[in-house]
Amino acid sequence: MLEIKNLDVAYGHAKALHDISLNIETGQTAFLIGRNGAGKTTLLKTIIGLLKPLKGSITYQGNEISALSPEEHYLKGLRYVAQEKKVFSNLTVRENIEIAAYASGEPVDMALDKITSIYPKLKDFLKTKAGQLSGGQRQILLVGRALVGEPKLLLIDEPTQGLAAIVIEEIVSILSGLRDKVSAVIVEQNLAMVNRLADRIYILKEGKVAREIVERSEISDTRGLEEYL
Amino acid sequence: MRSKESTLNKAPASHANPLNAYPMKEHGFIDFLVITAGFLLITPILSVHRVTDFMIFCIFVMSFDLMYGYMGRLSFGHMLFLGTGAYGSGLFIRYVSGNPLLAIMAGIAVAGLLGMLLGLIIVRTTGACFALINLAFNQIGFFLVLSPLRQITRGEDGFGVSASKLGFLNFGSRPIMFGFVLFCLLLVFYLLKRLTSSPFGIMLRSIKEDETRVRFLGYNTFLYKWLGFALAGSLAGLAGTLTALNYNYVNPNAMDVHSNVGVVFASLIGGAGTLYGALVGGVVYMVISNFLPIYIHRWEMFLGFSLLIITFRFRKGVWGYILSLWEYGIKKRLLRRSTEEVANR
Repeated sequence: MLEIKNLDVAYGHAKALHDISLNIETGQTAFLIGRNGAGKTTLLKTIIGLLKPLKGSITYQGNEISALSPEEHYLKGLRYVAQEKKVFSNLTVRENIEIAAYASGEPVDMALDKITSIYPKLKDFLKTKAGQLSGGQRQILLVGRALVGEPKLLLIDEPTQGLAAIVIEEIVSILSGLRDKVSAVIVEQNLAMVNRLADRIYILKEGKVAREIVERSEISDTRGLEEYL
Repeated sequence: MRSKESTLNKAPASHANPLNAYPMKEHGFIDFLVITAGFLLITPILSVHRVTDFMIFCIFVMSFDLMYGYMGRLSFGHMLFLGTGAYGSGLFIRYVSGNPLLAIMAGIAVAGLLGMLLGLIIVRTTGACFALINLAFNQIGFFLVLSPLRQITRGEDGFGVSASKLGFLNFGSRPIMFGFVLFCLLLVFYLLKRLTSSPFGIMLRSIKEDETRVRFLGYNTFLYKWLGFALAGSLAGLAGTLTALNYNYVNPNAMDVHSNVGVVFASLIGGAGTLYGALVGGVVYMVISNFLPIYIHRWEMFLGFSLLIITFRFRKGVWGYILSLWEYGIKKRLLRRSTEEVANR
C-alpha cells in the first residue's frame, strides 16, 4: 500500500532523514519508534506532503505522491493526526466533525454516528466548543475525525503523549478496533501500545532506519525495544 | 469496541458545556425585532439622517468583520471597496441611468468584481502582509479617483448623485432612505448570519484558527478565502452605494485610507467575530466620532487610548463581555439550582 524508497529529507541544509525505505501492506499497522530527533515526525510530515523530499520516492497504491499537496493526500484517503492535539477550538465539536464530513462528501449524520459509536460520550459535547474538551477527548475527536469518509491510511503522531493511563487504554481500544480495516503508520513511544497493535515496527535512529521488526516475538520484546528509546 | 463504559465516557459533568441547556435564540425574527427596535429607539435622540449614517457604517463594519472576525484577516484597506461601491453607483447614475436600484446593483457588482480581481493576489498573503497590501491598493484607488480618472470622477471636487424616484422609493426623502437602509442592514445581517453558520462559514472560521489543518482535511483554502474576500468587498460596496445615495454626493473621501481606522476600531470595540458585535461597535464608534469632537478638540487621541485599553484589557469587545455576563448568569443559576437540589435531598 505504502512504499518508501531511499528517501532523503532536509530542513534547509540540515539533513533530517537519510535513505529511508519502508513498506506497509494493506490493513497493517506499522509503528515508528525511536528517540527524540530520530526523524519520526519528519517522516510522517513528508508522507503527508508537508515536507518535500530531496530524493527518493513515496508510492501509495502504486502512485507517486511525494509531490502532492496535503489536500490531494486527503482526497486519496490519507489522514494525518498531528502530535499537538489541535482541534478547531473555537468551533463546536459538531462543527469539527462537520468540516471533515463536507470534505469527504460523507453525510454529516453518518459521520456523527461513526464517531459517536466509537466514543458515545461525545454526543453530550456536540454543542461544546472543542477547546473545552480534555486532552484525551480532543485526541479521540481527532482520531474520529480522521475516520470520516473512507480513510485508507492513517498517519498518527504520538496519540498517547501526555495522556493518563486510563485514557491511553481508551485510545488503544479504538485503534485496535480499526485494525485490518484501515492501514496505519503510528509514531509512538508507549511500548505497551506498540506491543498490542503493531504488525511491523521501524526503529529510527539519527534519521535512518536502524531496524525493521516483523516477527511477533520481537514485537512483544518490550525490553529489547526499550534500548532504542 | 469495548462494551463497558470507559473512564473517558464517565467524564465529569462539568466538562459538558452547561450553556447547552440554555441555547441562545437563533430565530431571525427576534434578531430583526431587536435590531429594528434598537435603531428606532436612538432615532429620536440622534436624528433620522444621523442614524441612517450609523446603519450604513454598521453594514460596512459587518462586511469588515466577515474578513477580520470570521476569516481572521485584518485589512487596512477596506475603504477601497466602500469607495468603489460609492463611485460605481454614483457614476452609474451620472452616466448611465438614474434608477437607484440598478445603481446599487452596479456599485455592489463593481466592488465585488474588484474584490475578486484583487483577491487573487491578496488572499495568498497573511498577517501584516495582508493588511499592508490592502492598504497599498486602497492608496492606489484613492489616487486613481483623485487624479488620473478625474475626467470622469471630477477629482477632489467629486460630483453630485441624484437618483430618480422609483415608485415609493424616493431617496431624497429621509424617512424612505432610513427605511431602505434599515432593510439593507437587516438583509445583510440575515445573509451573514446564515452564511457564517453554513459550511462555508465553518470553513472561514476554521481557516482563521489554523489554515494548514484545514488543508489536511482536503480543502482548497484559497478558494474559500477568495470568495470570503470578494463577498466582504461586495458588502462594503453596498455600504458605499448607500453612502452615495444618502449624501447625494461622492468624492475621494469615500476611499480615504485614513478612514480605515474607523472600521478597525468599531470592530474591536464591538467584538470581532460576532454580527451583534459589529453592530454595537459600529454604533458606539459613530457616537464617539460624532459627539466627542464637540467636547474634546483632539478626540482622536481619546480613540488611541481606547484602542490601547481594548487591546490590552478588553479583547472580547462590548458584545463579547455582554455574552460573558450572560454565560456567568446561567452558570450562577445552574449552581444555585444544584445547591437547592442537594439541600432538598
